[in-house]
Amino acid sequence: MFGLALRSLRHRAGGFLATFVSMVFGAAMVMAFASLLDTAMGDGVPSTSRTSLVTMATVVGGWGLIMVVFSVTSTLTLVVRQRGDEMALLKQVGATPMQIGRMIVVETAVVALAAGLAAILPAALAGRGLLSLLVSSKRVDGGIHFAFGPYALGIGLGVTFTAAITAAVIAVRGTVRTRAAESLRNAATGDARMSRKRKAAAVFFLVLGASLAVTTATAMRGKGSDAMQTAGQTSIWVSIGLALAGPVLIGRVTAALARPLERMGGVPAYLTVQYVRRRAGRLAGTLMPIILFTGIATGTLYMQSIENAATAASGAVATADEKTIETLNFTVIGMLVVFSAIMLINTLVAAMTYRQSESARQRLVGVTPGQVLRTVIVEGVILTLLGVVSGAVAGLFTIVPYSIARTGHALPDIGAGTYLAVVAAAAVLTLGTGVGAALRTIRVPAVEAVTR
Amino acid sequence: MNGQVTLPTSGSEALRLVSVRKVYGTDGTQVTALDGVSLSLRKGTFTAVMGPSGSGKSTLLQCAAGLDRPTGGKVFVDGAEMSGGSETELTKFRRRRIGFIFQQFNLLPTLDVLQNATLPLRLAGRKADRRYARDVLTRMGLGDRLRHLPAELSGGQQQRVAIARALVTNPSVIFADEPTGALDTRSAREVLGLLMRAVHEHGQTVVMVTHDPVAASYADSVVFLADGRLAGELDRPTAEAVAERMTHLGDRTARRDETEV
Repeated sequence: MFGLALRSLRHRAGGFLATFVSMVFGAAMVMAFASLLDTAMGDGVPSTSRTSLVTMATVVGGWGLIMVVFSVTSTLTLVVRQRGDEMALLKQVGATPMQIGRMIVVETAVVALAAGLAAILPAALAGRGLLSLLVSSKRVDGGIHFAFGPYALGIGLGVTFTAAITAAVIAVRGTVRTRAAESLRNAATGDARMSRKRKAAAVFFLVLGASLAVTTATAMRGKGSDAMQTAGQTSIWVSIGLALAGPVLIGRVTAALARPLERMGGVPAYLTVQYVRRRAGRLAGTLMPIILFTGIATGTLYMQSIENAATAASGAVATADEKTIETLNFTVIGMLVVFSAIMLINTLVAAMTYRQSESARQRLVGVTPGQVLRTVIVEGVILTLLGVVSGAVAGLFTIVPYSIARTGHALPDIGAGTYLAVVAAAAVLTLGTGVGAALRTIRVPAVEAVTR
Repeated sequence: MNGQVTLPTSGSEALRLVSVRKVYGTDGTQVTALDGVSLSLRKGTFTAVMGPSGSGKSTLLQCAAGLDRPTGGKVFVDGAEMSGGSETELTKFRRRRIGFIFQQFNLLPTLDVLQNATLPLRLAGRKADRRYARDVLTRMGLGDRLRHLPAELSGGQQQRVAIARALVTNPSVIFADEPTGALDTRSAREVLGLLMRAVHEHGQTVVMVTHDPVAASYADSVVFLADGRLAGELDRPTAEAVAERMTHLGDRTARRDETEV
């Protein structure tokens, strides 16, 4: 199986590119922050600076870890799912699910190793950049020497490897278990219904978010910026909850919008509505990064604006701690943007490849290339709208309680500009990637695409 | 030999190919799939196209149906010349005049039976005449399956949906590419019977590529193809006569290949 794994890897280097890129990004991020630990352990580092460095490394690095697992799982699951045919073939010639699983895990391990090694140089540069950022913003003393050593390498490589293997196991479990007949049935009956486990998880995260929101608005009232501890994570949990409920959201909203959409958009809209309703489960994978991106970005950015406004209003000057928190918040947002973008682009491109034969069939029946493109645009618009509205709801779970805790008003006196910017970014990413992938699809003659 | 391979100019002509050539590949590795094929088919006829593998029969069908562009020559469907314009123009031309039945059915997996069958009407901007589509589907024996998805149907049923989809627009020509290739014998017979009825009872014109002599025997006549050129035809074919001719063609091709090597 090891030999087979390597050979299959060499033949589909392209398919693993997205996984590789997200792993390199993740590894570099984790390593860069871990290098702050190496730096903190250096001789002659004053204790306050050491504390700042360690806080920065652990808090942001921890988020980095979660994002690495998330993005690697999402990219890998798609790679594995796309190879359903190949796996069915391997099963037919007698490969056990165990052997197939081992093949995927070995492939992933090889990619993870390569990604970890490729990340070292960029990580060292990013770590140095981080330190100089901290020095220039006076968070740590100047004159501290940057170090890139055992912590960076150990944590970076370890995290990447562990995340990759975990993701591979998760991805393989789902795919290897389903039998061919079963997956056919799923396709036939539409997959908008969610498994009990998924439903339970969605409810759990939504309840968690709601209770944290209540805690922020009541118990944390008047506690100043400490309320961030509960408020900050609320939008994350609600985003995850809504993202898990994706299939139901997509099904319901598309059913409600079906008539007006078809009236306005003609046949392409009709085709999209049918497609989206039947493939709600698969499209939920694309919706997830849009919700996460919008929800977390909106929540965190507004929370920071409320905080800054409140501090300014009280006439106080921000303390060093508060400044560090601000830097942390913006760093988290920055990382989030990069990861969501990778995830979104990856899921969209994969979804389009998946759809290639479907668009080819449409074209053989007489759908023009322009109409194929319009179906993709309508689909992108539906997903973007759903994503940014859900994201806004998730963001409000952070914003409203924090605003109540900090100022006593439910809604902050801050314009919608930030939210609109977040929405614009989400729309550009979704539609840009979708249309780009669709254009490539259209260029292939329909007859070839359908037999491929 | 009857008059079908000559070039009449009557208005009863459904399809006409004039010196159609198709060359694949670029310099050096060029392969000539079609080498100047001229052909004319009357309306209301059922024609099978046969030939050894690699003889160019699928290419012929795709060029004639506007799914592929010939390198040279002209194609007329119902008297109108197939435009050499953009993909969009070609698609619109196809939509109005041509129905296609594929070996792998090519139904849209997310549309149910009725939606699949009425899709060409929607695309043509005609009001989806559900009653007519329902009639056609009932004729195909699918009256009680209208709300099923393709994945819930057997291969034979899926192919019958595809036939209904090709029939609802009343096209000038229906092309069928190995329509029974993925079916068992019984389903294949049903499908061929339905195609035959579409021609004889409803006046459709059907061109079918096949490698199966039994399938070809359902047609009114068989056109043979070898090395991208026409190699004779057979009227009122029987399976035995077709099989014999095919063996002959196969031998000839094999002999030529040997001498070339």
